[in-house]
Amino acid sequence: MPYKIGVYVCHCGTNIAGMVNVEEVADFARGIPGVTLSRTYKFMCSDPGQALLQEDIRKNGLDAVVVAACSPLMHERTFRRAAQEAGLNPFLVQIANIREQCSWVTEGKGAATEKAKALVAAAVRRAREHQPLEMRRVEITPSALVVGGGIAGIQAALDLADAGVQVVLVEREPSIGGHMAMFDKTFPTLDCAACILTPKMVAAGSHPNIKLMTWSEVEEVSGFVGNFKVKIRRKAGYVDHDKCTGCGLCIEKCPYKADSEFEQGLAKRKAIYLPFAQAVPNKPIIDKNACAYLKNGKCRVCVKFCEAAAIDFTQQDRVEEVTVGTIVLATGFQAMDGRRIPELGYGRLPGVYSALEFERLNNAAGPTNGVIQTRDGRAPRSVAILHCTGSRDENHHRYCSRVCCMYALKYAHLLREKLPEARVYNFYIDMRCFGKGYEEFYKRLQEEGVRFVRGKGAQVWGGAEWKAMVPAAAVPEGLEDHQLVVVAEDSLLQQVLHVPVDMVVLTPAFEPRFDAEEVGRRFLVSRGADGFFLEQHPKLAPVSTTNEGVFIAGACQGPKDIPDTVAQGSAAASKALSLITRKEIEIEATTAHVQDELCSGCRTCIGLCPYNAITFDEARKRAAVNDALCKGCGTCVAACPSSAILARHFGDRQIFSEIEGLLSL
Amino acid sequence: MSFEPKIVGFLCNWCTYTGADLAGTSRMKYAPNVRVVRVMCSGRVDPTFVLKAFREGADGVLLGGCHPGDCHYQSGNMKTLRRIPLLKRLLKDMGIEEGRLRLEWISASEGERYQRVINEFVEQVRALGPLNLEVRKALPKKSQATA
Amino acid sequence: MPAATPFLEVADALKEYGAHDLDLCYQCSTCTGSCPWSFVEPLNIRRLIRLAQLGLPGYEGEDLWKCTTCASCQVRCPRGVAIVDLVRSTRAMIGETGLIPQSLRSALGSVKGEGNPWNGKREERNAWTESAGIPRFDPKKHEYLLSACCMPSYDKRSRRIADALWKVLQAGGVRAGVLGPEESCCGEAVRKIGDEGTFTSLGKSNAAAFEKAGVRKVIALSPHCYHTFKNEYAAFGVKVEVHHASEIMQRLIFEGKLKPHKKLDRTVTWHDPCYLGRHNDIFDAPRAVLSALPGVTFREMFRHKKQSLCCGGGGGRMWMETKRGERFSDLRLPEAMAVGASVLATGCPYCVNMFEDSRLGLEREDAIQVRDLAELVAETL
Repeated sequence: MPYKIGVYVCHCGTNIAGMVNVEEVADFARGIPGVTLSRTYKFMCSDPGQALLQEDIRKNGLDAVVVAACSPLMHERTFRRAAQEAGLNPFLVQIANIREQCSWVTEGKGAATEKAKALVAAAVRRAREHQPLEMRRVEITPSALVVGGGIAGIQAALDLADAGVQVVLVEREPSIGGHMAMFDKTFPTLDCAACILTPKMVAAGSHPNIKLMTWSEVEEVSGFVGNFKVKIRRKAGYVDHDKCTGCGLCIEKCPYKADSEFEQGLAKRKAIYLPFAQAVPNKPIIDKNACAYLKNGKCRVCVKFCEAAAIDFTQQDRVEEVTVGTIVLATGFQAMDGRRIPELGYGRLPGVYSALEFERLNNAAGPTNGVIQTRDGRAPRSVAILHCTGSRDENHHRYCSRVCCMYALKYAHLLREKLPEARVYNFYIDMRCFGKGYEEFYKRLQEEGVRFVRGKGAQVWGGAEWKAMVPAAAVPEGLEDHQLVVVAEDSLLQQVLHVPVDMVVLTPAFEPRFDAEEVGRRFLVSRGADGFFLEQHPKLAPVSTTNEGVFIAGACQGPKDIPDTVAQGSAAASKALSLITRKEIEIEATTAHVQDELCSGCRTCIGLCPYNAITFDEARKRAAVNDALCKGCGTCVAACPSSAILARHFGDRQIFSEIEGLLSL
Repeated sequence: MSFEPKIVGFLCNWCTYTGADLAGTSRMKYAPNVRVVRVMCSGRVDPTFVLKAFREGADGVLLGGCHPGDCHYQSGNMKTLRRIPLLKRLLKDMGIEEGRLRLEWISASEGERYQRVINEFVEQVRALGPLNLEVRKALPKKSQATA
Repeated sequence: MPAATPFLEVADALKEYGAHDLDLCYQCSTCTGSCPWSFVEPLNIRRLIRLAQLGLPGYEGEDLWKCTTCASCQVRCPRGVAIVDLVRSTRAMIGETGLIPQSLRSALGSVKGEGNPWNGKREERNAWTESAGIPRFDPKKHEYLLSACCMPSYDKRSRRIADALWKVLQAGGVRAGVLGPEESCCGEAVRKIGDEGTFTSLGKSNAAAFEKAGVRKVIALSPHCYHTFKNEYAAFGVKVEVHHASEIMQRLIFEGKLKPHKKLDRTVTWHDPCYLGRHNDIFDAPRAVLSALPGVTFREMFRHKKQSLCCGGGGGRMWMETKRGERFSDLRLPEAMAVGASVLATGCPYCVNMFEDSRLGLEREDAIQVRDLAELVAETL
C-alpha cells in the first residue's frame, strides 16, 4: 500500500491561484497522513513542472502522486506519462480537479480554497488505495468505415485509400456526391462544382482500396477501437449492379415517373433511375413506390429491354457485416423546411424558392437547363434573396449557418450574369464574409450592382394578396398579381421598404440530419445543444469524439463551407490513419474482475453487461470477465450481490476513501 | 450563519463530469457545496456509495449520468434509474428524506444545466436542513469494502 | 443630426422597470418589418429599442404610444426579446414623469375612480347582469365565475356579446355567476399604458374579491382579461383556472352539451385577437366552434393565426385617435371581404368595437357583419 505521497498544487497562472489560496492548500496537504511532500508550482503541465514531479519520484521514492490542477480529462494522461517515465506506475497518479470544478466556478476565495482542500484530501486518500495496473494492447484492424458519401466522406475515403487502407464507404442515397453534387458554381471562385467534384466521385468509385456501398445504411455497430463490427443494410435496388452495364435503356423505356429528390421536386425522374447523370455508381435502382410492377405486378418494361438481364425483382434487403479498425462519420446536414416560417410564404407562394431549389434551377444540368425562370416560365426582372432563414433565430436555430451570406452573394452574381437586366436585392442582418477571398467577393458583387439592404426580410406576400390587404397608397406602382412584395426595414435608412419582386430565394438554416440522434447513439457520439455531433475538444480535437476510434468530418459537426468540409475530411482521415499505422493500441486497464472465491454463481452480472464480456464457466459455476471486451463501466460491480466483482481503479475501497476525504472537512 | 449543506456528487465521466467541466470552462458560478466523485458510468454507483456518503457527513447526494439513450456504455444509466426507487425506499426506512437524493441527466454540452441543477439542489437540501445525527450514526457501517 | 453621447443610466433604469431583454436585441429589423404599422404609417420599433439601448433621446417619443402590444414582432424576434415588455417598461418609466398622452388620462382617471376605463359609475357595473338575470357568484352553487370585462357594463354593442355568451352558457348547462360592484377592471390596458401602480392596486383588489367569493375557475369574455388573470395575476397570489369563452364553447360542443342546430347560411372568417392568439396560442378552439355551426362556410384570411392583423385597439390605442384609413380595422374588413366572407367573427370586445366602427366607414355598411363567436353560437340555438 502506498504511503509516500507527493502532492502538487498547480497555480495555473492565475486561473487557480487567483481564486484558490494554493499555499494554504499545499500546507493543508502536508498534514494529511501519507503525504511526504507537498509543493505548489506555476504550471504543473509545463516541462519544468513535469520535471519537478519526476525528480521527486526518483529522489524521494514516491509511491503515489496527487496533482491538484485542471480536469483529469485535460491532463491526466500528461501526468501519468510523466510518472511512468520516472518509473512510477501511471495508475498511481490521482488528479484533483481544482480548476474547472473549483476555481472557475466558485465565488469567494475562502469558499474556493475550502473546496480545493476537500478535493485534495479526497485525492490523497484515494491515492493511498491505488494499485499499479498494466495497460493492455490490442491490434488494430487496418481498415476504415466512412459513413456518408458527400464531399467530406469522399475526401476522407480517398485519403485513407491512397495511404493503402481498405475503406468501406457507405452512402444512404443511390449515388455519392452529397449536397455538393447539386451545386452549379461554388463561391467565391465560381469554379464549377461538378468539374471539381466528379473526378473525386469517380476516383472513389473506382479506387481498388474502396468498397463503395451506396443505397446502404449502417444498422448496428459493436466492438471498440481497433475492432469495430459493423452491420450494413444493403437496401434492395432491384438491379444487379454486377450485371448492369449502365446503358440507360431501362430508364429511357420506363413509363412511370416520380418527383426527383435530387431536383428538389422541380422535375420528374423515372421509377428506375439515376439520381443525376454523373451518379457514381452510374447504374440505376428501382423506386419501389413508383414502379408499377413492384406495386401491382404489371409492366416489366425494363426487364424486356435489359440485355444484361440485370433487373432482379426478387432482390431483398440484406445485411452485410464488416470489421474495421476505425470509423469516420461524415453524415452531413439537411436544410430547414422554409414552411416553418409561414411569413415568408414558402410552399404557399410559387415565386418563393429554397436555396437548393435555386441551385437546381441555375444548374446547367438541372430541370431548366440552367435557365433561371419562375414556375410559370417567366424570366424574373427582380429577385430578393433573404438571408438568415431560421439561422441566428431563437425560434429555430440559434447558430449562424456560416455559408448563407456567401452563397447568397453567389446567387446574386449568377443572376446578374444570366439576367443582366434583373434587379437583385440581398436582405441581410450582418454580412459574414470570413473566409479567404470572401470579403473580396462581397466587394465584387457591390461592383456588379447588387443592392444590399441591411434589414431582415420580415414578410413576403403575393401581389394579389397585397392589393387586398393594404391601402391603395401602399401598393407599389405597377405591382402585378403574380409578383411578390417583400416587407423589410432598411435599418440604415430607418425606413420600411415594400419591394416588389418576381422571385424570392430563401437561405434555410443548416440542420442536423433528421436521424442524427439515432446515428449518434449507434456510434456512441454525443451531440451538442445545437444537435450536431460533438467534437472531443472544440479547438484541439476538432474531428475526434469521446468514442475512441470514431471521427467526425464535415457538416454533421456543424454548418461548414466546402473548404472547411474538405479540410475536416482530410483531418479525420489523417487521425484514422495515425491510429491504424500504430498497429496496436493501448486500451483501458480499468476493467472489471471476478474474484473467484466470492462469486456465488448467481449470474446477475451476465445479463447486465452491454458488451457480453462476462461468461459463465458451467464447470466451476463461476462468472468470468473477458478483459478484451470489458470497457470498465462498472455496472456489474455495482450490481453484484456478493460484492465479488472488483472494478480496477474504481474499486469500492478507492471510492469509499475518496468519499471520506471529500467529507473530512 | 445559514446552514451550508455538504453534498457528494457521483458524476459519470462522459456526460455529467464533462458537462461540469464545461460549466467551469464557461466560468459559470455555482454553489461550492457539491464535491464530486468521478465514476466512469452512473451505473457504477453502488447503493452503498450513497449510504457511505450520508454516513460520512453528506446532507445530500447527487447522481449525474448521460441522458437516456446517450449512455457511453449503452444503458448503464438505465440501470441507475432502476436502482433509484429502491434506494429511495431504503433511505426512507432509515429516516432520510427522499429530497436528499437526486438523479439528473446532464450531457457534456449542458454546462448551464449543471449550474442550474447544482444551485437548485443545494437550495433544496439547505431547506431540508442538516441530516439528523442519530440517523447518520444508525447507517450501516459497511464501509469496509471487500475490494 | 448633432452628435450624441450615450446615457446608459437610462438603459439601466429601463431594465429595472422590466426591460430585461433590452441588450439582447441585435437590430435585425424583423420587428419593424413585422409590425402591422408597416402596412400603413410605419412604427420603427427597432429604432426605439436602439435608442433605449444607448439611452438616447427619442426612445420616449410619440412612436412609443403607437404600439398596440399586438406581439407580431415578439413572436418573430430571432433573439426572443419580450418586446411588449420593453414597450410596457418604457411607458412605465415615462408614466412616472407624468408624460402619458392626454387622451389616455381620462381612461386612467376613470379606472382609478370607478374601477373601469369607460367613465361609467361603479354602482352601474351590474345593471346588465341584473337585467339579464345572472346570479351573483356562489361557490356552493356555481362552478365558474363569469368575468365579462368592463365593456358590456357600459357599452351597448359589447353588452350584446355578453348576453349572447350568457345564453350559450345557460344552454350548455354551465353553472356560473358574476361578482358584484367590488369587481374592477382587470388592469390589462392600464398596465400596457404604463401605470404599474394602478395595475397593482386593481390586481390586489380583484385578488381579494376572488378570494372572498371563493372563486376557483373563471370564464373570461375578453382575451385581455383572460391573459391578465392567467399570466399576470400570480403576482397577487391568484391561483385560479382561467378559460376563454371560446374554449368553454368548444368543450360544450365537443361534449354534446351544446347542440347548435339552426342553419346560419353564411360565409364566415375568423379574426384572431392578439391576446387570444399570439399572446396565448389559442388558435384552434374558435375555429373548431365555427366548424361545428350548421350552415357556416369557413374562409381563412391571408393574415391568420400567428400572422393575424391586429385590430388596432390594444395597448391603450382603444382610447387614442387613429386617422381613418390608417386604422388596422379599416384594412381588415376589405381583407375579410376579399376572401368572400359575409361575417367577420372574432372573440374580443375590443376587436368587435373597432370593426363595428370601421364598418361605418365602408361604402356599404351591410357588406359585412361583425360578430363575436358567442353571438354566432347563440344564433344557432
